[in-house]
Amino acid sequence: MNRLSILSSAIAFAAMMATTAIPAFIAPAQAATLSGGFDVGPGGFQGNFNPLAATGGFTWLSVYFEPLVTYDEKLQKVVGVLASSYDVSADQLTYTFKLTDAKWHDGKPFTAKDAKFTMELAKNAKTGSVLAARLGAVSSVEAKDDKTLVVKLSTPSASLMDTITKVMMLPEHALSQIAPDQLAKNSWWSTSPIGTGPFKFTKYVTDQYVELAANTDYRGGKPALERIINRYFANPAAAIAALRAGEIQFTYVDSNDLTAFRNNKDFRIIEGDSFVVNYLGFNHDSPIWKDIKVRQAVMYAINRDAIIQSLYGGAAKPANCAYVADQVVPKGIETYAYNPEKAKQLLKEAGWDQINGNKPITLLTYYTTPLAANVMAAVQAMLAQVGINVTPRAVDTPTYNSIVLNPTPDTAQFQMVYAGLQNGPDPGSINVGLNEKQIPPAGPNVARVRMPELTAALDAALGETDAAKRGARYQDVCKVMNSQLPWGPLWVANRYGIASSKLKDFVWTPAPGGGPYQAYPEKWAIAE
Amino acid sequence: MLARTPSRSPGPTARSLHRFLLNRAAVLGMCMIVPMILLILSYPLWWSFKPNDIDLLAMNAGPTTKHWFGTDGVGRDIFARVMDGGRISLLVAITSTIISAIIGFLVGAVSALAGRWADAVTMRFVDLVMTLPPVIFLLVLASIAGTGIRPTVLVISLLSWPLLARMVRSRLLELRERDFVLAARGMGAGLPHLLFRHGLPNSIDILVVFATLQIANAILLEAGLSFLGLGIAPPAASWGNMLNAARSTAVLEQYPWQWLFPGGALVLAVLAINFIGDGLRDAFDPRAELN
Amino acid sequence: MKAEDGAGANPAILAIPPHGNEFMLRYSLRRLLIGVGMLLALSVLIFVLLRLTPGDPIDAYIDPNVPMSPSDLAELRMTLGLDQPLPVQYLAWLQQAVTGNLGYSIQRPDRPVLGLVLSRVGPTVLLMGTAIVISIIAGIATGMISAVRRNSVADFSFSVLAVTGISSPPFLSALVGLYLFSVYFNWLPSGGMLTPGGEFSIGDLLHHLILPAMLLAIAQTALIMRYMRASMLEVLNQDYVRTARAKGVYEFWVITKHALRNALLPVITLIGSTIGLAIGGAIFIESVFNWPGMGLLMVNAVENRDYPVIMGSTLVIGACVIIVNLLTDLAYAVVDPRIKVD
Repeated sequence: MNRLSILSSAIAFAAMMATTAIPAFIAPAQAATLSGGFDVGPGGFQGNFNPLAATGGFTWLSVYFEPLVTYDEKLQKVVGVLASSYDVSADQLTYTFKLTDAKWHDGKPFTAKDAKFTMELAKNAKTGSVLAARLGAVSSVEAKDDKTLVVKLSTPSASLMDTITKVMMLPEHALSQIAPDQLAKNSWWSTSPIGTGPFKFTKYVTDQYVELAANTDYRGGKPALERIINRYFANPAAAIAALRAGEIQFTYVDSNDLTAFRNNKDFRIIEGDSFVVNYLGFNHDSPIWKDIKVRQAVMYAINRDAIIQSLYGGAAKPANCAYVADQVVPKGIETYAYNPEKAKQLLKEAGWDQINGNKPITLLTYYTTPLAANVMAAVQAMLAQVGINVTPRAVDTPTYNSIVLNPTPDTAQFQMVYAGLQNGPDPGSINVGLNEKQIPPAGPNVARVRMPELTAALDAALGETDAAKRGARYQDVCKVMNSQLPWGPLWVANRYGIASSKLKDFVWTPAPGGGPYQAYPEKWAIAE
Repeated sequence: MLARTPSRSPGPTARSLHRFLLNRAAVLGMCMIVPMILLILSYPLWWSFKPNDIDLLAMNAGPTTKHWFGTDGVGRDIFARVMDGGRISLLVAITSTIISAIIGFLVGAVSALAGRWADAVTMRFVDLVMTLPPVIFLLVLASIAGTGIRPTVLVISLLSWPLLARMVRSRLLELRERDFVLAARGMGAGLPHLLFRHGLPNSIDILVVFATLQIANAILLEAGLSFLGLGIAPPAASWGNMLNAARSTAVLEQYPWQWLFPGGALVLAVLAINFIGDGLRDAFDPRAELN
Repeated sequence: MKAEDGAGANPAILAIPPHGNEFMLRYSLRRLLIGVGMLLALSVLIFVLLRLTPGDPIDAYIDPNVPMSPSDLAELRMTLGLDQPLPVQYLAWLQQAVTGNLGYSIQRPDRPVLGLVLSRVGPTVLLMGTAIVISIIAGIATGMISAVRRNSVADFSFSVLAVTGISSPPFLSALVGLYLFSVYFNWLPSGGMLTPGGEFSIGDLLHHLILPAMLLAIAQTALIMRYMRASMLEVLNQDYVRTARAKGVYEFWVITKHALRNALLPVITLIGSTIGLAIGGAIFIESVFNWPGMGLLMVNAVENRDYPVIMGSTLVIGACVIIVNLLTDLAYAVVDPRIKVD
């Protein structure tokens, strides 16, 4: 056994050489079963069964639960699922949903009363709902008749539809007896949940897998697959191993693990926008970043194109504000092309030697992937070249959150962060990270950005009720960000899933939090 | 050689040295570690790459005559990093091993030799420490201590002594009942006398094995610490954090030099220390010449 | 040195010493009582340490890419009672704990902690047990061979292997093992305890067990081997072994009867003491192979700062360690009757 560690590596590479030509593929005996690592990666949420408490994992939850509306698979527009159509009143205060004919997995009909029940649970923080605050503008929910749901707001909200896509409909007849504050503790979620989706929950084997069976009465037709299994992986490398061993047919992968799948006819690489902008957040409470020349110097010092080409293999777009999408990025903004001489010059003008000089600056991050470690090493080396001495520090998520969300933070612990923020599909999602009103403890503006001009631009964009003008408003936001540099925006990277070539009509996209989006699980099929 | 000088009756140290030099494994160990330390200390004088200089155009390159050990994911020279990491890893490992060996020996020996009350109290304390989940212990200690070499040494030392304490105690418990210790006690020997005249020589074999194994353990613990944002702050290299690169399946399979070389250096160093440890143990064993 | 001669040469040791059974029983009871006290102390210690750990369960809940406002989080904290003063929180926990209710997991509120922890005991015992049995057999055998055939080729190669085993980070040996046996050769499953969706069978279980158990045994075998070798060498030098040899006792008997038993003492301690540690050490193997054991539960709980689960699993592990340490101390007395346990 002892000889394994070193010898095995030698054997591994010999074996690899020998077997690259032969696809190491043994099909599992059970036909029409799709196994996948649906909750692997940043959009997943392993072990969560309660959609009200879900901060991710919607890709999987929406295989057996369904929301009223969802995004299309390109994440560009909101389309109906359990709502066949919806209307918004002219004053943006009344939303009317026409519900489709659907049945719960136990055969009972889905009605507007269920929808009202679910919306009220989601609005009630006592249930442990993470959507409660986002539904704060909802003043009343009424079931006008069995097939009509009316949602009234106290103030217009541009993000309401985005939130409603995350409200998975729950059956009133199964849950109404449980007190709201006991709901989260109930074992219903992981033993016998019922939804309206194309697959029915059959069993959960603790920390191993969840199994669903086809809902043969599904209104969209009988699903092509008989079973779907969601296997859990505590380690992403293990998911890749299972995929290559043919035990699963789908998983998320990090971009630097793609090499083994490129030019491999057994696998299909699915690429998509992460909708997460990565940035270097300057802690504006720290005096060292006060001078805009220093912030500009940081931008000029980092060769983003080289990092994207080499570390991301080209699969990222440089960002010069929080956005990269054409309709929200104005023409002619500064591109901060790599220019270390200019960076040095700017630092000299700002008097960097007096401001900070060579003292180490902690660069905090919660990204612990091998890719992030390389990015941090590159950023560190590039900044060192112009005379900014940063020390990267990667911590786990709770540690990161406790440091940056602290209302009275220790500035020395995080003068700078390397982080990400969701920037779509709704461009308004960046507001919480940049609006002055969102500085902790009020909100998660962790960089403590206090820029009146930016706050005004964000407020104007969020308050814009005319959808046609919204793009232009967000262009203003982008322009301010580009010139004032509340952060050093870096890039928006792509994310990847790998599916076996045997999967047919399989729809997946790396949506933030796993979506939800229209994936049509009833059409997924697997070749024999 | 020193021991071969024609003095008629060499002293015990000289005889030990002689025995040490006759031990093939020990000599082999010395032949491995001395050049290694020389390389590690002198490499900046004759090697043109610096450990933290990145080169994104030459990343993930295999071993060549230019980069003997290849380059890593941001184009840093692996050879320079193995050398530089060796300084930090060996420094951290050796200091923390010495500290934890001292704590472990003292706690174990006092527990065994200082009477039943001391025994019961210290051993229950050791049990308590050993029951704590190390991850929690690490997170708390490190959030107080921070990153850098000194906190890392401190955290590793504090985590590693309990096992040794129990082993030393179990060895000395047997000793406690032997005639010569009972006699020494009867004659009023103090605790220090018992600890160092009887305790130390009788647990030296355990100490040597502990120390040699702990060196490897400490280097790996340091690697584990860097997962928690602790340990040696990047971009400084250590053998442990270089091995961490193998978490990426691409590095594991396609760029094996990135972990094989630091891994190989680690194995060689620990092996050498092991051989030397065995040699030292034999050399200072008063009974050895009877064989 | 009469005592040494006597003890080493006297084979009738397995019998419990004269003041035997009753004394042992009283001793064990006392140690168990102390154990309960220790568990209490442990619970206080862990409770305090957890509150000193950076980040709480709510901090762990949020994806920093999709942030939530701290004011919403404050509400969630309140529902969990995390805003109460520490002693109040502890007493509330203790009050429930003495009735056997260890609370609910925060990350998975539908799971009671006790059930969650107990459901992990079986898989952990299976995995750890297999690994420990493998490593005891392999470690003691190779350690003895190394000591007896000292400086031979076998001794040298065992040393090299042991050092390699000890120097391999657990995550690396786990990944290399996984890629080798399940990806390249496709002999063994890549993880889990049973084939998903399949029926239970012993063969399927063993198929999933063998690789993680072997990998887990690597470091432990190396450890046992090194200590066994050192301890055996020490004992072979003792006077009573020389005496036995001088008396013309066969070498085989000298080793197995006289030397082995005494050489085992530190090794027993080692095995006993590392069981607790090994549960922690299994974290990497369990997470790479997704084995539903204590290590995986614990690491998930720590990542999520799931206080009740960490408390619960620490106490269960703690109880095991206390019992194992008691058994270790009793085992000394059995192996060497001169040692009076107290």
